[in-house]
Amino acid sequence: MSVPLSVTIFLPLAAGLAGAVLPRGWARWTVLAAALAVLGIAIWMVADYPAGGAGLRDLTNQQWIPELGIRYSLGVDGLNVFLIALTALLWVAATAAACFREWDRPRLFYFHMALAETAVLGAFCAQDLALFVFFFDLMLVPFYFLIGSWGGRQRVRATTKLVIYTLVGSLLMLAGAVALGVLATPAGGHVSFALPVLAHRLVGKGTQEWIFLLFAAAFLVKAPAFPFHGWMPDAYRAAPIPVLVVFSAVLSKVGMYGFLRIVVPLLPQAAQHYQTLMIVIAVVSILYGSALAFSQDDARLVVGYSSVAQLGFILLGIFALDVEGKGAQGAVLQMVNHGLVVAPLFLIIWALSARAGGSESLGRMGGVAFRAPALAGLFLIVALATLAMPGSANFVGELLILFGTFSTKLAFGLVASAGVALAAVYMIRMYQRSMHNRVGAAVESRDVTRGELVTIAPLVAVIVALGVYPHFVVARTERSTVRQERPAASLEHASETGGQASVPPAGTAELGPLGRAP
Amino acid sequence: MGIAWFLALSAFIFCIGAGGVITRRNPLVILLCLELMLNAGNLALLSFSRMVGNRDGQVFALIVMVVAACEVVVGLGLIVAMYRRRLPIDVDEVSELRG
Amino acid sequence: MIGAVHSQLGPFHAPHVDWKGMSPLLSVLGGSAAVLIAGLFPGRRTQRVVVPVLAIAALIAAIGLTVWIWEPGGVRPIVAGALSVDTLALGVSVLFYVAGIATILLSLRSAVVRECGAGEYASLLLGSIGGMVLLAGAQNLVTIFIGLELLSIPLYILCGSRVRQEHSLEAGLKYLIVGSVGSATLLYGLALLYGATGSTSLSVIGHAVGTRVPLDDPLVLTGVALAATGLAFKASIAPFHTWTPDVYQGAPTPVTTFMAVATKAAAFAILLRLFDEGLISDRTNWGPALAALAVASIVIGNAGAIGQRSMKRLLAWSGVAQAGYILAGVVVGTRLGIQTSAFYLAIYLPMNVAAFAVVIARMRVSERGDDMAALEGLGRSSPWLAWPMTIAMLALAGFPATAGFIGKFYLIDATVAGGYAWLGVAIVIGSMISLVYYLRVIAVMWMSPSEVEVPAPAPARASPSRRVRSVAGWSPEADVRAQPEVAFVAIACAAATVFFGIVPEPLLHLAREVGSAISSAL
Repeated sequence: MSVPLSVTIFLPLAAGLAGAVLPRGWARWTVLAAALAVLGIAIWMVADYPAGGAGLRDLTNQQWIPELGIRYSLGVDGLNVFLIALTALLWVAATAAACFREWDRPRLFYFHMALAETAVLGAFCAQDLALFVFFFDLMLVPFYFLIGSWGGRQRVRATTKLVIYTLVGSLLMLAGAVALGVLATPAGGHVSFALPVLAHRLVGKGTQEWIFLLFAAAFLVKAPAFPFHGWMPDAYRAAPIPVLVVFSAVLSKVGMYGFLRIVVPLLPQAAQHYQTLMIVIAVVSILYGSALAFSQDDARLVVGYSSVAQLGFILLGIFALDVEGKGAQGAVLQMVNHGLVVAPLFLIIWALSARAGGSESLGRMGGVAFRAPALAGLFLIVALATLAMPGSANFVGELLILFGTFSTKLAFGLVASAGVALAAVYMIRMYQRSMHNRVGAAVESRDVTRGELVTIAPLVAVIVALGVYPHFVVARTERSTVRQERPAASLEHASETGGQASVPPAGTAELGPLGRAP
Repeated sequence: MGIAWFLALSAFIFCIGAGGVITRRNPLVILLCLELMLNAGNLALLSFSRMVGNRDGQVFALIVMVVAACEVVVGLGLIVAMYRRRLPIDVDEVSELRG
Repeated sequence: MIGAVHSQLGPFHAPHVDWKGMSPLLSVLGGSAAVLIAGLFPGRRTQRVVVPVLAIAALIAAIGLTVWIWEPGGVRPIVAGALSVDTLALGVSVLFYVAGIATILLSLRSAVVRECGAGEYASLLLGSIGGMVLLAGAQNLVTIFIGLELLSIPLYILCGSRVRQEHSLEAGLKYLIVGSVGSATLLYGLALLYGATGSTSLSVIGHAVGTRVPLDDPLVLTGVALAATGLAFKASIAPFHTWTPDVYQGAPTPVTTFMAVATKAAAFAILLRLFDEGLISDRTNWGPALAALAVASIVIGNAGAIGQRSMKRLLAWSGVAQAGYILAGVVVGTRLGIQTSAFYLAIYLPMNVAAFAVVIARMRVSERGDDMAALEGLGRSSPWLAWPMTIAMLALAGFPATAGFIGKFYLIDATVAGGYAWLGVAIVIGSMISLVYYLRVIAVMWMSPSEVEVPAPAPARASPSRRVRSVAGWSPEADVRAQPEVAFVAIACAAATVFFGIVPEPLLHLAREVGSAISSAL
């Protein structure tokens, strides 16, 4: 017995709307309760998901706009089940963190938080390309308001920049998605945007290539990857921390997830064609992100640029396109890991700035650890996980990614391994500067408050648990992930052996109800 | 005389009208030029009507005359209203709204 | 006596008139006459209540009659050879009626009604709607011209109806001049088409071009070019859009609302009728030209809107850009393209009316008129106005969960399927540019005003547009309650925008029935 996915997705929105009409003080608790309920459902979903499972579960598949061939179809498989759980978990953490603060216009604030959760969950669950685009673009609206209305200095500028950057990508993707659906339709057939159908109706190589670029623009901006990260520093500086927690930890994953769910299986030849380009972007992101993370003074930007580097790793894994799918598995694991470490990092920065007189500059922090051993301990665990210490799940993830890359693009893999070492440098620098250096002028250290503990400790617990048993994730994501990569990876194989391998479409296994064109 | 002459004259009148609308500044003259443009259309309609041998064009031309009269009435009304508000009767000075 | 006359004059064949099919038009024109007479009776009650109620009743009756005679697929000649109704004509005429109702509601407390008289105002409005209905159902070049003039001439007067305001008179005169140039150009084009084919009937012209008359006949080509130019003036398609911002700003705002949605719909109805039905066989010649106009509109409209502070001008420029999007559907010329244009016209109405309603509400209470600054902090002070505006802006920008998203999706779908993928890309690029100004409006309302970068204030006016009353001790709550009908229009339109963004199927279905009217489409 499982809860329908639609309920899971729209529960937060319903709570947000309810909070908007209920008395002022109730909004936060309504939205928090909905986030907790979604978390409960998500935990059940993960627990219920069989190890080694591959097919889509909890299918919802209905006509939405038959005129346009758009179906309301949702499903969970190994690829997205952990990302849904991550979303649910981090939204609880962010909402809880927000609840300990007073916000101006609270009903509106929590409404936007709830709307954002709905949109993100929808994007992860969507099994129809048009529906995915719908949720993907919808995500932007609440974050526009959240950053623009409740952010710090220069917030309107930052949020406008963010929205324009990301929406330029999104609109290109909209054009790409429509073009893909229309051009893939065989003569006399009905237009369909269902992903399994599209996986069977591959378009020609030339078409794949330009559509690939449109999608890649959207997803790389969202990540953000190196040349498209212009919005990131401003937005990260301006965003309120609870918003930044979910924004950085979850939204960037949607782009990467889009590569795995849509781009690689539906455009395999193009993925193969642009493999080197994407890997170059990934490697440059790793090096650039690491180098800048090392030189930042603003703690938020250290984490922000480290995210650029980490997402570079994920991108690298996705486009390793090795036959065994190791790179992609590592990428999925790393998406979860990165979300799990970034969120507590931002919450810890929040806690630190509360002790450092409101400043988030590393130069003004320092010496907090002495009077806050518990906080220091939590930070240390998160920092070690971020730099992929052996024994953490991040270590396993990065290792898988590098193994995958070594087997197809050895040279790039070697360069990328340098990124692992650089991560150690900037994370340890950040930890030392904030926790151990000379006590900053305005620092008044105290140990974790109850509110901080409630939000940070569970996340750290999950990090530790995954570090102990990363196989839990890998076993459940493996088959779904490998299946997404198979068409593109086997192309590679074929070109190496010189033969013409037939391309097995991704997602053949569950062509049941989704496979039929309306 | 072939139809080409009639058409050439009508096109000439149309161009005079269009040129006048663009270059003249006095709204009264502009209204005159608009009439020229419409009447160029009428001339074309009438000559085509004789060419193809049905009377549709002539009926059309009659209707155009009525419509043209309506437009002039409204135009003159607006000009008079502006005059009574002591606004400048020169479209260059009528420039508070400028694109 | 009549019998005697009959015997003297010989046999007479009256043109076939289908009164049932003509009933919506009769309802509107009858309403126009009725409100004019009703407006003659003195008394506040007549002016304030009877006239608007009569006008709205006539429009609602017209909608009801339209639903009654709605019949997908069939073309029903109502006046032989001149006028017929099909789903295209009926479908867009519903848009005119709805826009008319919204306009009357929006102008209930407007100064324009007091200055020019409620009866005259409503009568002119209904007359203009009558012209639009005539235009949408035209089967004949003569009917096209009559319809176009019947719709335009009352609008010239309405634009200039605030006779004590310079802006209004100037806008009226400017619109008259530019509109008449458009009409004259269209007339000349129609005359050439008549000369080339020897008929004023659209269907005869459609058959003749490509068979009897060669496709590249110079008369046909020139005629099509001139007709397209004339209609481009009406639809404010660049580069014939230069009047739009001035006239939109100068005209009384309810009239602007009406012009923005209804005139545009009428102009596109006749563009669809003329090009995709009458001249479809000549598509290879006019297709690229119209495509160029569409791209020009998208680029110029969006670029022009960026620097605007005045909301009316901003919406005018955005309207130019949106006209470019709609034109893309005409260019494609397929049935899908026609459906797309019809759908976009339908959703364009609530998006714009919602925005204009909020502008009207603010202009009445704010000293800053239609300046963007009048919207400052609206999210905090009166969310019931801020939300409709926000939804309208998001929809115009094409965000999901609004009808605008579905519209863009549908448009790109049609352009790609019709072999004009690059036009789809142009639409996307235009949408990107448009984000700059749509988002700015939202930011002004919801985010702290000091943080928003708006264009420099316009140079001071000789006489600032002073509004109905400047309320001392005005409170934002009272602002909404003092003009409930404006808030109602705004909220209803915003709700429709969101509804059709999530459940577009009914509207898409109607759009398909509208598209089925043009049987010659590819």
